[in-house]
Amino acid sequence: MKVTLNWLKEFVKIDISPEELADKLTNAGLEVEEIEYQNKHLHDVYVCKILSIQKHPNAEKLDVCQVDLGDRKLQIITAAKNIREGDYVPVALDGADLVNGVKIKKSNLRGEVSEGMFCSGEELGITEDYYKGANIYGILVLNEKHDLGEKIETALGLDDVIFDINITPNRPDCMSVVGIAREISAILKTPLISQDPYYEVDKTDDVKNYVSVEVKNFDLCPRYIATVVKDITIKESPMWLKKRINAVGIKCVNNIVDITNYVLVEQGQPMHAFDEKYIEGNKIIIRNAVSGEKISVLNGNTYELKPSFNVVADAVKPNVIAGIIGGVNSSVTDDTTISVLEAACFERANIRSTSRAIGVRTDSTARFEKGVDIGSPIQGMQTALSLVYKLQAGTIVSGMIDVKSYEPKERELTFSLKRIFKILGIKVENKEILNILSCLGLKPEINGDVLKCVVPIFRTDIENDADIAEEIIRLYGYDVYDNLDVPALKDSAYTIGKFNPLLHMQNKLKNILCDDGYYETLNYTFCPPNACDLVLLTPEHKNYNMIKLGNPISDELSCVRTNMVFSMLNSLSYNVKHGNKNLRFFEAGRIYLPKELPLNEQPEEINMLSIGAIDENIDFYTLKGTIEKLLSYFNFKYELKYSSLPYMHPGMSADIIDRASQEIICTFGVVHPKVCANFELPEKTLYAEIYIDKLLSFKENKVTVKPISKFPYVERDLAVIVDEEITAEKLLSSVKKSAGNLYYSASIFDIYRNKSLGENKKSIALHIVLSSQDKTLTEEEVNSSMNKILKDCEYKFGAKLR
Amino acid sequence: MEEKVKLLETEALKELVKIEDLKTLADFKVKYIGKQGQFTALLRGMKEIPAEDRPKFGAIINSVRERLENIIEETEEKLNLKELERKLTEEKIDITEPAKNTERGQIHPLNKVMNKLMEACVEMGFTVVDGPEIETDYYNFEALNIPKDHPARDMQDSFYITQNLIMRSQTSAMQIRAMEAMKPPIKIVSPGRTYRADSDATHSPVFHQLEGLVVDENISMIDLKALLTKLLKMLFGENTQIRFRPSFFPFTEPSVEVDATCPMCGGKGCPRCKGSGFMELLGAGMVNPKVLENCGIDSKKYSGLAFGFGVDRFAITEYKVPSIRMMFENDIKFLSQIK
Repeated sequence: MKVTLNWLKEFVKIDISPEELADKLTNAGLEVEEIEYQNKHLHDVYVCKILSIQKHPNAEKLDVCQVDLGDRKLQIITAAKNIREGDYVPVALDGADLVNGVKIKKSNLRGEVSEGMFCSGEELGITEDYYKGANIYGILVLNEKHDLGEKIETALGLDDVIFDINITPNRPDCMSVVGIAREISAILKTPLISQDPYYEVDKTDDVKNYVSVEVKNFDLCPRYIATVVKDITIKESPMWLKKRINAVGIKCVNNIVDITNYVLVEQGQPMHAFDEKYIEGNKIIIRNAVSGEKISVLNGNTYELKPSFNVVADAVKPNVIAGIIGGVNSSVTDDTTISVLEAACFERANIRSTSRAIGVRTDSTARFEKGVDIGSPIQGMQTALSLVYKLQAGTIVSGMIDVKSYEPKERELTFSLKRIFKILGIKVENKEILNILSCLGLKPEINGDVLKCVVPIFRTDIENDADIAEEIIRLYGYDVYDNLDVPALKDSAYTIGKFNPLLHMQNKLKNILCDDGYYETLNYTFCPPNACDLVLLTPEHKNYNMIKLGNPISDELSCVRTNMVFSMLNSLSYNVKHGNKNLRFFEAGRIYLPKELPLNEQPEEINMLSIGAIDENIDFYTLKGTIEKLLSYFNFKYELKYSSLPYMHPGMSADIIDRASQEIICTFGVVHPKVCANFELPEKTLYAEIYIDKLLSFKENKVTVKPISKFPYVERDLAVIVDEEITAEKLLSSVKKSAGNLYYSASIFDIYRNKSLGENKKSIALHIVLSSQDKTLTEEEVNSSMNKILKDCEYKFGAKLR
Repeated sequence: MEEKVKLLETEALKELVKIEDLKTLADFKVKYIGKQGQFTALLRGMKEIPAEDRPKFGAIINSVRERLENIIEETEEKLNLKELERKLTEEKIDITEPAKNTERGQIHPLNKVMNKLMEACVEMGFTVVDGPEIETDYYNFEALNIPKDHPARDMQDSFYITQNLIMRSQTSAMQIRAMEAMKPPIKIVSPGRTYRADSDATHSPVFHQLEGLVVDENISMIDLKALLTKLLKMLFGENTQIRFRPSFFPFTEPSVEVDATCPMCGGKGCPRCKGSGFMELLGAGMVNPKVLENCGIDSKKYSGLAFGFGVDRFAITEYKVPSIRMMFENDIKFLSQIK
């Protein structure tokens, strides 16, 4: 919301600097985002009169001008051709710094001195709608005579200070000059300057002779005021009015339209001006649109209306999409002589949804969708009529049609001081409270604990103790808390903090991965529509169907991920493309599985941990080691199966399956070469994913310690040749079984493959440790145990001793 | 005979002082006191001297031999030490050569900051809770006092999936779930991902918040001030000060923006805080009584405070990350800088 200092000063006395005012507003909750001095780039620019123009002796295209600056005469060189002797023009002298970045210096142009430069409208930052001639290519020739040497900012009325204020959604009443002035009056504790809109009417004529108003749906339009102005001469508005609306960024159009815009900014009341001759049947009907109705509006578009839209219609057709935009066939034009002025109150939610449905946002919707209170239209209309009168834009017909669903009334509310202090945690003197609330126009009275206020119509936000507490503290000043030193929650119950179990476990796992050299990554939850196809998931797969966003930022981020592998491979791919090496990544994140599409209920959100690696020191088995380390925390028995996930290499990846539930807890291994190719990754890229929600259901490992034998541990090595199909796991479990109660441990220390061993054969070297709790094992006992181990292997697997 | 012994001793000692290595010493030992050694030979030659003189000579020879043995031992010790010193010098390595297999990975900077925040909160008695990211309109908006088509919805441009389901635009949604599930005293923080349809140099469509909520009897703005001061001191150091500025959030009343002593310059004023010495860090306020009532909590008896951190901005400030996009690119050149 933009307002100007001079405009505010019409309503409240301000004798502090704009910066100080901005600070005070910000500290009271009206955050000033920017202070703009209109004259910022107008210093060292003055009005001068051209005395003579002569050809430059040494330059074909230049002229040498002598100009009068009042107290002195100067020479200016120019290339412009649109000036004549006697013209009043702006001249920028040495030191000027124009809006387009041009800095002016006294210079010598081909042997002739130039003390400065004449300026165009553009170089002064003005447009044609504001000042006739501003758009002319060449020099801005001023329309009137001015004092020679007058500052250009005064000559063009660009001497105001503009505040851009962020109005929070709870304060629609501050969306106007008057509203902000009210706040300033409360902050500075200076009374508002009262305004009495004055106008005279033609008592011989009545508004009813021109139009009638009918509101069909008071929910959508709680109040509608119409007046009529006749004998209109459409013309340019006077400079003082144009100055105002130009300063806040509104285009100047003509006297009637400018008046409605002036009221919009000053009073916060959007208005509309109809050309009376186009209101068919002399009827204004505010109603829901009829399906299929169409309207062509001032932005050049035609819209098909829906029954939920509210329109201002006549007996035949809709003329305005209510509160949003006017139709081309009913608005004021240059030949308008009679106008119906509208000041109304439209329901904010309807304005908001309609405005979004057709994608039209105007200064009017910006006000209406924040909420225009029911008292506002009358203020707006009176101001508008006083301006019509002041500008002599036409004759005001007597009478005003005012249709309203209820009588606006101030609310009398009571609050509890005790509860207010309880919220604030501090006590504020009654005197201070009364002072603050009076300044806000709440007419406060205190009786014991009871605070009674009369809430003005425009303060729709004030309802409960918390609201009043905020009003008091924002004007009392939050700095009261700056130097308070009180322990936190001293009157509150003692609680013991705790981590969420999942996050706690996640952090533990993350630390293990960090120790193994993996870096944590973060990825968007969103992915492109082909994310599943790229990792070879097919429609049969339950993770194939992704939730789609209704309003994605881009196609790349339009779906909600159903797998972790896409993000991981994407991150790896980004790094490979940037020439990075030795990549070890992990991500703790969620996947989102819809129960059905389109989505009817919240999807299942599953927490996962994914791991990815492209690193010469990491192969399947190193990754397996890391996985085992991670899983070693949890008390569950699992088995390994070759993974059937489409994005994994079928022969070099494994699923870890919980024995009890037969659910897949983890998948790890080498990524399918086709998937690697899709992401331009090297083959043998490694990937793993763990369903950590499932891990959470397992208890952490509880261990009972076995006694350490006092007798020697006997170590023996054994190498056997077996078929490739005999897995390491089978062999080891056989050894364990064969050794029986002498078993202490068995491990594989070498696997050897060579043609000399035979086709499809491998040699596995085992390191076996035997021990007994109650004696030293004899050579015979050890040998017989080793024999049994070997015999069993021969019998079960056709193993041969190597 | 006595002279012979003396002579041999002198000769032996002369030889001994020249010995500089263990091998020569061993040879020396053999030569003089070994089984075939010269002193042993002398002893053996005792039978040639008169029996009454034997004890005397025996004693002389033995004492010389003993002396010799002591000296040999001392020398041996000395030489051993010398040998060890030589070995140690020889084995010297270049300790500045790179370490082997020690590279440790790192937690993402965002989660480092998130963990720090959570740990501080847990220390202060908060319980960490977690909730769905795809939320219903009710939890994300309605119950938080943001009705449909209310202008406050414009404060956040949310991603929607259906009329009723959206990507949560604020972790505040968890406030409602927690208040529904728990009875006061409630002290929770809810960390997590949040989503808004915004993407530029300072906004990411996916970002992270940490929301704190306390509901109990006698909770006031003072508690809010004291709690946030403590929390921010834990994060940015003991000299951190905070101040409130009025603001608006539909679910708190009064609502404040919280500025803290700029962590970049410690309050001296720097380009990052535009010279003010303060940086806007979070939004907070007293839980709006309407929100308490929406969750079935008696707002006459209980009051609450709430605060919300934008964690990504914290991390970016802490690590001086030039662009928020870097946080999601996962370039190892970026990640490996975080220690």
